[in-house]
Amino acid sequence: MYTYIKLAWRNIWRNRRRTLITVSAIIFAVVIAIMMQSINRGSYEVMIERSVNFSTGYLQIQDYRYDDEASLDNSFYFDDELRRRILDADDRIEKILPRIETFMLAANDQSTRGAVVFGINPEKEQRFNELQNFKSDGRFFDPDEQAAILSEGLANRLQLAVGDSLVLIGQGRFGMSASGLFEITGLIDHPIRDLNNQAVFLPLQTAQQFLSADDHLTSIMIAPQREGQTNSVAQSLKRELDGSELVVFTWPELMPELLELMELDLAGPRFFTLILYLVIGFGFFGTILTMTMERLKEFGVLLSVGMKRARLASVVFIETLMISILGVLVGMGAAWLILKAIDPIVLYGDAAQAVIDMGFEPVLPMSFAADQFYIQGFYVFLIAMAVFLFPLIKVMRLNILEAARS
Amino acid sequence: MPIVKTKNLSKVYNPETVPVHALRDVNISIEKGEFTSIVGPSGSGKTTLLNMIGGLDKPTSGTVEVNGVQITGMKDSKLIDFRLHNIGFVFQHYNLIPVFTARENVSFIMLLQGRDKKEMQQRADELLDQVGLGDRKDARPAQMSGGQQQRVAVARALASEPKFILADEPTANLDGASAMNLLDIMQRMNREQHVTFVFSTHDKRVIDRARRVITMVDGAVHSDEYQKAEEYDESKA
Repeated sequence: MYTYIKLAWRNIWRNRRRTLITVSAIIFAVVIAIMMQSINRGSYEVMIERSVNFSTGYLQIQDYRYDDEASLDNSFYFDDELRRRILDADDRIEKILPRIETFMLAANDQSTRGAVVFGINPEKEQRFNELQNFKSDGRFFDPDEQAAILSEGLANRLQLAVGDSLVLIGQGRFGMSASGLFEITGLIDHPIRDLNNQAVFLPLQTAQQFLSADDHLTSIMIAPQREGQTNSVAQSLKRELDGSELVVFTWPELMPELLELMELDLAGPRFFTLILYLVIGFGFFGTILTMTMERLKEFGVLLSVGMKRARLASVVFIETLMISILGVLVGMGAAWLILKAIDPIVLYGDAAQAVIDMGFEPVLPMSFAADQFYIQGFYVFLIAMAVFLFPLIKVMRLNILEAARS
Repeated sequence: MPIVKTKNLSKVYNPETVPVHALRDVNISIEKGEFTSIVGPSGSGKTTLLNMIGGLDKPTSGTVEVNGVQITGMKDSKLIDFRLHNIGFVFQHYNLIPVFTARENVSFIMLLQGRDKKEMQQRADELLDQVGLGDRKDARPAQMSGGQQQRVAVARALASEPKFILADEPTANLDGASAMNLLDIMQRMNREQHVTFVFSTHDKRVIDRARRVITMVDGAVHSDEYQKAEEYDESKA
C-alpha cells in the first residue's frame, strides 16, 4: 500500500503549479465557507448558551400543562423525594436548578412596569450559571429574606436603586392575590437583554410563600455533564417520570423559534457555499481531467505490464483524495487561525447602537463549533467522489492498445 | 512444449466497412530460449502479431497459446494477471513510470505480483547490475539517457521472471552505441539465462543478432528462417 501512496503522492506533484492552484482553490472555499458559517452562528450560539444557562437549562422539567399555559396553577410539588428521583434517574446529571416564575407588575411610588418574577436559590443559581457574577450593585439576598434583586433595565425604568423598596402586584396560585413590598438589595446586569429590562429575583422560599405556592415550582432546569448527553439524559428522565404529571423538554424543544431563525439565517451562507463549491468542484474536475488525459498512455502501459484496473483506479483515487485532504486540512487550519485572530468583532458607532437597540451586545462573536469545520471535509470529500468518477470510468473502460498509441 | 504457439491467427480491422487484413492465418511456434526477430515493412502486421502474442489484442479468428495456456478469449482481468506472471514487455518509448526511480520501476512489477519487499529490492538491484546500471539505481527516468531508460525497461521486463519477453522496436529510439549495448545485454541474457526474446523490428542490427527471423508481408508469414547470429562480444557488455 505504501508504494501506491508514494506513487500517488509523487503523481500529484508532477505538475506542482497545477496542484498548488487546485489545493489553493479548495483552501479558499473551505476558509470562506467556515468563516461565513462561523460569523452567522456565533451570535446565535451566544444567545443559545445564555438561554440555556439562564432561562431554559439543557433540559427542563415542567408540569405537563405548563407548556400550553404558563401559569402558577400549573406549577408542581417539589420535595426531597422528587429531587432524589431526578438525580438518581441518570448519573450524568450534574446540576439541577429549581425555579418558580410568573408575570407581575413591579411598581415604585409613581409608576408601574410589567416584570418577570423569578423565585431562585442564589447558591444553586451561582453553581448553575454564575448569576451572582452579573451583580452590578448591592448584594445578593439570603434564602429567606424579604428582598429582591432587580435587573438594571427595570431599575432604570422604575428609577429604583439599592436600598429602595419595590412593590410587586399580581396573582398567586389558584387566583390568590399577591402583593408585597420588597427591599432592593442588589442590581444585576442580566446577560439576556430582554430579561435585563424586566427581571425581578426573589428568594425561592419567599417567592413561594408570596405566590401562595409553598414547595411548588414552575420548572427545574437540568444540566448534564456534557451537552452531547442532553438527549440520552432526557430519555432517562422521561422513563423515570413516566406516569407522573411531569414532562421533560430538551433545550431545542424549548426554543424552536431561535433554532429556526438560526437555520433561516444560515440558509444564505449555505447557498453561497454551495455555489462556491460548485465552482471549485469544476476547477478540481479540470485538474483531475487533465491529470487523467495526459496519462492515458501511461495507464495503458501499466495495464499492459499487469497492473489490475481496480488497483490503477485506486491510485488515481488516492491522488484525488490527497488533493482534497490537503485543501481541507490547510483550509480548516487557516480558517481556525483567522477566526481566532478576529474573534470577536467589536462594533462601533451607529452599527453598535443599532445592535444594542435590538437587544443584543454590539459584538459579533465567532463560532468554533466543530461540525462547521468537519462538514467542509465532508463536502469536499463528496466533490472528490464526484470528480473521481471520470478517471474511474476512463480506467475501467480503457482500451490498452488505443491508450498505448495515444 | 513451445513457449508461444499461434494457430491460424487472423485479424481483420473494420470487417463490416473497409476490411483491413492485418494478419492472415499466421502459424508460428517459438521455443524456450529463442532469440527471434519479427521483421517486415510498415503495415506488414508485425506489431499486430506481437500484440496478439502479448494478449493486448484479440484475434478475429485463430488462437494463441502461451506455455500451453490458450489466452484467446480469456477474460480481461484474468489476462492482465496472466501477462503479469508470464510476459515481459519492452516498449519502443521505454514507458517507465516517470515519478519512480530505476529501482522502484523494476520493483513495481514484483510488487504487483505480491512479492516480499526484501526479495524485490534484492532482485531489482541484481537486475540493474546485470544491465549495467548499478550506479543509477536511484535515478529517475528524466535523469537518464534513452539507452539507460531502455535498459531499465529490460530489467523491469525480466523482474517478473516471465516465460518470454516481447520487445516492440526496442532500439528504434536509441543511438548506435546505445542500441548495440542494449542488444549485447539482451543477447547475453539469452545465452546465459536462456531468456526467450521476441522482437518486432526494422533495425538491421537487431536482425543480424537474431538466430531466427520471421518475415511478415501483408499480414502473412513470408519466411521463417534460422541464421547464424552475430556473436555476442563480451568486451562490449
